[in-house]
Order: sequence, then structure tokens, then C-alpha cells
Amino acid sequence: MIESLKQQYNIEQKESRLFKLIIKKEEFLKTLSFISSSSNFITLSQIACADWIEDEIFKLNYILTTKERDKNLMIELEIPREESKLPTLLNFFPQAEVMERDLHEMYGIEFIGNPTLYDFALENWKEIPPMRREFDTLAYVNEHFDFRKGREDNRDVKVEIKRRRAEAKRLKNANK
Amino acid sequence: MQEGFIDYQKVLNNEEHAIKSTQSVIQKAVDWFRSKSMFVLAYGTGCGAIEMPPTFTSRYDIERLGVVGVATPRQADILIVSGYCSYKTLKRVIRSYEQMNEPKFIIALGSCTINGGMYWDSYNTIKRLEDYIPVDMFVNGCMPRPEALIEGFVKLQDNIKNAKKEAGYIKYRENNEFYKANQKKIFGDNIEPSYEANFEGMNR
Repeated sequence: MIESLKQQYNIEQKESRLFKLIIKKEEFLKTLSFISSSSNFITLSQIACADWIEDEIFKLNYILTTKERDKNLMIELEIPREESKLPTLLNFFPQAEVMERDLHEMYGIEFIGNPTLYDFALENWKEIPPMRREFDTLAYVNEHFDFRKGREDNRDVKVEIKRRRAEAKRLKNANK
Repeated sequence: MQEGFIDYQKVLNNEEHAIKSTQSVIQKAVDWFRSKSMFVLAYGTGCGAIEMPPTFTSRYDIERLGVVGVATPRQADILIVSGYCSYKTLKRVIRSYEQMNEPKFIIALGSCTINGGMYWDSYNTIKRLEDYIPVDMFVNGCMPRPEALIEGFVKLQDNIKNAKKEAGYIKYRENNEFYKANQKKIFGDNIEPSYEANFEGMNR
């Protein structure tokens, strides 16, 4: 089945069971609808997202699996970080609903046509989506929580480890 | 006694734990009975919940100390907050705790409830549990073994029996503004969890 897709698209073989296809944002819906209807890649097992803040893009990987569970196809595309919008895949892969909802919550990507883009794991979240890299986790934590003070006799773990290693090394050299 | 086993009842009846407080005789009896029948709410918040099945089943069999699991908060005396507590979970924990009948006690299991543990810089996990609900017994470790949990139970039994510490539910009743203010700090005005699921648009 992958051979017929290879005639249509520029599919690269990464491993024995893993194939990769890089597409543009414009041909996203057309490609996915073609693959879902005319090949045996019938399961959408994952949508992975990476935030490339330096290039101002999100890189999304749609990972499809065959009916026999013997081949995986990664479909990679880039979308701009600002106005990150994509059409939903609900019509071809119903299981995309939860994944898109998750991505909307964690990265703020809007999936046009998905009706379930409300709160998922975070309730009443008013900050910027937390998995975006401009979100400063440590600043947020310092602002919202008080930390417990350590014990008075606590020691720096790194210093102690260094001391023990030096001691072990010294003993080893002495034995030689 | 076989080596490696601790006689918990012996620890409990140790003379150094003799009653020193000013309980009346009836109160002493009531507290003794109370310490021998602890009903634990079957509820797990984090990864620590995985230590509770061996504690309650035949391997460690905590039922010999009078600790039994129950299904609803209305019947429970003890709430185990087992592990990290996210905002979303904490709301449910508070809701469950407020539904429990007094006297009620909280055991906090794991490092995450003490200082955040490995989630110390997480945007979504609370760092100190006792800011939001009163904790009667901390069991540290990541994760604590069932033995540690049993020791926590025994210490808590001791505290209850001998009225050593002010119980958490009294603190919660008397300092309610403090706890509510802390809860409000992270929840905003949405302290009461709304259980109305929004299924709008899902009837495809």
C-alpha cells in the first residue's frame, strides 16, 4: 500500500517500519483526506507538536498507523506561531478530537471545525498556553506559590557528591 | 517475633506513649474506639495511589489495624492525598473533604504534598498541601513504601488515641478564612466545582 502512496508523494523511509512525508500547510487537508480514503493508514495514533520559537513556527507531526499495525507514517508540516490555525481532521479521523483539544489547550492552536475546544485538563486557565516557550514556568510558580523553607542543617547535595567522588578517587589511586 | 516484622500494636501500646493529656475517661474511651476503626475513602490523587492496593490487600493487610476502605466521603474518616495534587484534583479533594463527617483526618502521602517534590516548578501542581486543607500526618518519600504508610497510620492512631495533636478538622473549622483565602488565591472565584458537564456540540 505504501508503494502506491510513494508514486503520489515524496515519501522518505526513515526506518524499516517508519515513513516520513513533509507537506505544506496548504495541501494538508487534501493530502490527509487522500491518505485516509485510499490507503490502509486508518488510525491517527498521535499528533506531536514542537515549538520552534526561533523560527516562529510550530512543527506538527501527524502519525498514522496501518490497519495491520505494521507501518507508521509521519506527516510533518509547519504552521506560523502567530495565528496558528488548522482545519480539523474530525471528518477523516474521529480520534483526533481529544488530541486537537489537548493541542489547543497546551499550545493555543485553533482547529477550525472542532466543536470541543474548551477546558480539558486545565480549568479556568487565563495565562498564555503553558507549553508555549514564551511562558515562563518558574516566574509563574514563584508568583503563585510559597515554597517551604529547607531545614537549617541542609547541605548542598552537589558539593557533597563532589566531595565523595574525590574521596573515592583518592582511595582508588592510593590502592594502586 | 519474626525478624524484619514490626509489632505495630506493641509500638502503639508502648509506655512512652502513655496518656498525658487531660482527657476525661469517656473521652479516652471514645478516642480509643475511634483509633481502632478508621474508614479510608477509596480515592487516589496521584501516583501514590499505586501503593494503596498492596497496603489494603493480603500482602500488608492493614485491616488488622482496623483500617478499612469505603466508597463514599459520607462514610469516610480518613482521606489519603496520595501524591501530587493539581489544581483540578485539589478542587475535588476539597469537595470530598468538606463532604466527610467529623471527625475526619488527612494523611498526605509522598514528597509532592510536602514541598512539591519533583513537580516543584510545575505550573499546575500545588506545593504545600497544608495551605489549602489541614493535614494530620505527612508520610514522606517518593514513593513511600506500604510500610511507611502503615507507620503513618499507626502514628495517627496514636495521635487520636492520646489526643496529642489538635485534629485537623478543628483547625479547618476555626481557621476557615485562612484556608478559604488560600484556596481563593489559586482558584479565583471558582472555588465551588461545577459538575455540569458541557456536552454542547458533542451530540454528533
